Amino acid sequence: MHRNWNGEVEFVDVVIRQAHPGPRVPAYHSFEQKMRDGERYKREDDIAWTVLVDDLPGTTHQVYGGLADPTYIIDAKGRVAFYSMWTHAPTLHTSLEMLRTQGWRGVVGGGVDKTPHLAAAMTDGWKGLRRGLPQSLIDIETASPTVGISTWLGYQLRPLTAPMTLRAKPLPASAKIGLGVGAAAMLFLSARALIRDRSGYGSERRRIRMRPRRRQ
Amino acid sequence: MPNTDVALRFVGLENKMSLDEYNFEHFRTKHLLSDAKATVEERGIKPGELAPDFELPRVGGGSLRLSELQGKPVILHFGSFS
Repeated sequence: MHRNWNGEVEFVDVVIRQAHPGPRVPAYHSFEQKMRDGERYKREDDIAWTVLVDDLPGTTHQVYGGLADPTYIIDAKGRVAFYSMWTHAPTLHTSLEMLRTQGWRGVVGGGVDKTPHLAAAMTDGWKGLRRGLPQSLIDIETASPTVGISTWLGYQLRPLTAPMTLRAKPLPASAKIGLGVGAAAMLFLSARALIRDRSGYGSERRRIRMRPRRRQ
Repeated sequence: MPNTDVALRFVGLENKMSLDEYNFEHFRTKHLLSDAKATVEERGIKPGELAPDFELPRVGGGSLRLSELQGKPVILHFGSFS
């Protein structure tokens, strides 16, 4: 996303509290500790834009809603144009395009996106979670069983799923139509197989197929 | 935190968390539920409102005030290292 908009839009990241503390990433007790993690974040995740570090009580984060992973688009006049409560790059991309057509001013796309966008979290969430192992995994499995394991699994499938789940732009219309047709075909074939099984038509055919041939 | 809009708003903030609540030691179900509640309530700065100004230390040195970026659109993301 940064590659697509760099030069036109300023990117700013604010480091907030530990979301999934663990032995190597304990809850913050000093600002220096938080700043060190900010430096690691910029280095390890190869962040090319500005990274700021919030204070220990999370003053800025709490005033801006205190959510786990939100992103705001602020227009050229310093007003909130869009608020993605669960950061989703394709939605932000569309909103930026709309804002550009409005001369970088005003509210776009209804102003708020509240969708949790779980597919992206399942693909990329393990990156943060693994920093706090093993405590982070035990905690999340206790708080919400199967979420930690699913996140691990999602990360393993990343080479296959990332082009879909972590894309920076929305899917083109042709891809959406293709996916829709594929899903409808799968649904149709499953329903047909189910109806055949229930009516006994399929099993009768299988029986006929399995009957041994008589020797002539 | 210098005397910015954010610092002034924080004083009167509803649902404000204490230092220990905010920097929790263990992720619990209540944190998931709190995030879900905040989402439903659309907690945060409303679209169309002026983004509260703040000044924060920058990784690599110095600090940045949000209002310094006025004149250009800004993507402002809040994220955790873990």
